[in-house]
Amino acid sequence: MPQKKLLLSLKDTGLKNTSYKSIGIHALNNTLGPFSIDIKSKERIAILGPSGAGKSTLLQIMSGLHDHLGSIEFLSKPIRQMSFQELSYKRAFLPQQHETAFNLSSELIISLGRVARDHDPELIKIIKESAKAARVEHLLNRSYQTLSGGEKSRVHLARIFAQLWDQSNGILLIDEPLAALDPGLQIELLLAILKFCEGRSLTLVAILHDIQQAIEHFERLILIKEGKIIADLPAHPAPHRELEILYGMKFERFTRPGRKDLLIPSDLRCSYTN
Amino acid sequence: MIGLTMLMAITLIAAILGPVEINYLNSLSAHGEPVQNYILWQVRLPRILFAITIGASLGLAGALTQGLFRNPLADPGLLGVSSGAAAAAAGAIVFSGSCAWAIHEDLRVWVLPLAAFCGALSICFLLDRLARWLTPGSVMGLLLTGIAINALVAAFIGLSTYLANDQQLRNLSFWTMGSLAGVNWMVLSLMIFVLAVAFLCSQKLTLQINALSLGEAVAAQVGINLKQLRQRIIVMVAILSACAVAWCGMIGFISLIAPHIARSIAGPDHRQVLPLSMLFGGLLLLLADTLARTVAIPAEIPVGIFTALLGAPFFLSLLAKQRRVLI
Repeated sequence: MPQKKLLLSLKDTGLKNTSYKSIGIHALNNTLGPFSIDIKSKERIAILGPSGAGKSTLLQIMSGLHDHLGSIEFLSKPIRQMSFQELSYKRAFLPQQHETAFNLSSELIISLGRVARDHDPELIKIIKESAKAARVEHLLNRSYQTLSGGEKSRVHLARIFAQLWDQSNGILLIDEPLAALDPGLQIELLLAILKFCEGRSLTLVAILHDIQQAIEHFERLILIKEGKIIADLPAHPAPHRELEILYGMKFERFTRPGRKDLLIPSDLRCSYTN
Repeated sequence: MIGLTMLMAITLIAAILGPVEINYLNSLSAHGEPVQNYILWQVRLPRILFAITIGASLGLAGALTQGLFRNPLADPGLLGVSSGAAAAAAGAIVFSGSCAWAIHEDLRVWVLPLAAFCGALSICFLLDRLARWLTPGSVMGLLLTGIAINALVAAFIGLSTYLANDQQLRNLSFWTMGSLAGVNWMVLSLMIFVLAVAFLCSQKLTLQINALSLGEAVAAQVGINLKQLRQRIIVMVAILSACAVAWCGMIGFISLIAPHIARSIAGPDHRQVLPLSMLFGGLLLLLADTLARTVAIPAEIPVGIFTALLGAPFFLSLLAKQRRVLI
C-alpha cells in the first residue's frame, strides 16, 4: 500500500496572544497547545473533548487564519505565506455559529463560497449541485432570517461544498456540523459530507460531540482536554480507557461482530464538570 | 425603473420652480429671454444636477459604510468624517479671519472647500490609524472610535461657534446645515468625475462586501483579503464624503436612508444596493433641495434642515421595525 501524502502538519503550534502572562502556576484554562499533528491526505479525523477544551481554537489555528506560534505547513508550504485567496481554494471551514448582517438569500450565501474566484463559468451549476448535496435545493430562494437553525447550518454546509466543489486534495474543517439537527438528518448529512470528501480525495477534520458517530464514521480520533492533546489514535478498536479519562465518566463497550464497537455511558456520574 | 422615472419627473419640476418664472418653450428655443436662459442654464440646471450628484455620492458612501460595518445604522456622519470637514471649515472661518488679507481675492473662494476636504480626509486616516492601534481588527472598535472622534470634533465646532462674530456665524451655519447654492459647472463636473470613479471602483467590491456580511471570519475563510477591502472602502468613503462636505457642508441622513430604501426594494445584495442607493440618494437630495429653495421664496432655507426633517422620522421608524434585531 502506498504511503499517504502529508497534507497538513502542525509543529509546536500554539496561540500567539496575550494570555502568556497567565501561563504559570494556575492558569491551565488559558494555555493552548503546543500542538504537533500530522494530517495525511484523505484522512477522516474527529476531534473530541469536553466543552471549553480548545477544540474550536485548534480548528481555527489549522485553518491558517490565526496568528500562531510554531509552524504550520499546508501542502508542503508554510501556511503564513499563503494568501487568503490561495488558501480558500484548498481549505474550507464551517464555523460553529453563523451570523449574517443583512438578510441575504440562501442562493447568494452559497455562491459566496466561490467569491474568491475571478472567473467562474460553472457557478450556477455548482450552486445547484452543492445545494442538492446539502439537502437545501428547496430553500435556494428563501432569505436567511426565515430559515430554521438546522436549515441555516445546511445552507452554510452547501456554501463550503460549493467552495471546494471542483477541488481535490484539499481539506474540510468542520466545527460541529450536526448540532441542531434531528437524528435522521444528522446521519444523512454526515454521509453526504463523507461522500463529498471521498469523491474528491479531500481530508476531513470534524469536531464532534457524538462519540458513537466519531467511532462509526471516522478513522482517527484526536482527544483534547484543557488545551492539550491527551491522545491521538485510531478510532477502532474504540479507545475505551482514553475516552473515559477524556470525559471523566464511565462507558460500557459492546463489541459487535462485523461492525464497529458500541460505547454507551454506563453511569450517571461525570467528574469533569466539577 | 420607477426610481429613474421619478428622478426625471422631479428634475423637470425642480427646473420650473424657483423665484424667477421660466417658460419652458421660451427658454429652450434660441429666442428666449436672455435672463431666463441664464438662470436656467447657469443657476438652476447645474444646481439640480449637483443635488443629484451629491445625493448619489452620499448614498454610495452610506451603502459602502453600512456594508463595511455590517450594520444598517452606520453612516459617514456617525463616524465623524462629515463633522471633521465641517470643523476644519469652521476653524478656517473663525481663526483665519486675521490673516485673510494674505490670500489673494480669487483664491479665497477655494480656501474653505480645501480646508473641509483636508479635514475630512485627515479624520478618515486618523480614524483608521487610531482604531487599528486601539482595537486591531475589530470593525466594532472602528465604529466606536468614530463616535468618540465625532464627539471631539463636535466640541471643536462648538468652540469655533462660541468664538465667532456675527458674520462668521452666518458662514458657519452654511457648513453645519449644508447648502447647494455655491455650485458652478466646473465644480459639478469635478464631482461627477469623482462619483463616476468611485462607482466603478465599488463595482469590483460588491461581492466581497456581500461576503463580509457573513462575518469577518467567514469572509477570510472564503478568501477575502479583509485588510485590503477595509482600506479600499475607507478611502472611497473618505473621498466621497469629503468632496460632498467640501462643497455643500454637512448634509445629514441621506447616506443613512438611501441604502435602506434600496435594500427594502431590491433586497440585501450589494450588487443592487450600491447603484440603487445612489439613485435614491440623488432623488432625496433633489427633493430636499427643491423644497429648501422654493418653500420660502425668495429666502433659502438650509437643505440640511429638510434632510433632517425627512430623515429623523425615518430613522425612528427603522428603529421600531428592527428593534428585535438591533437591541
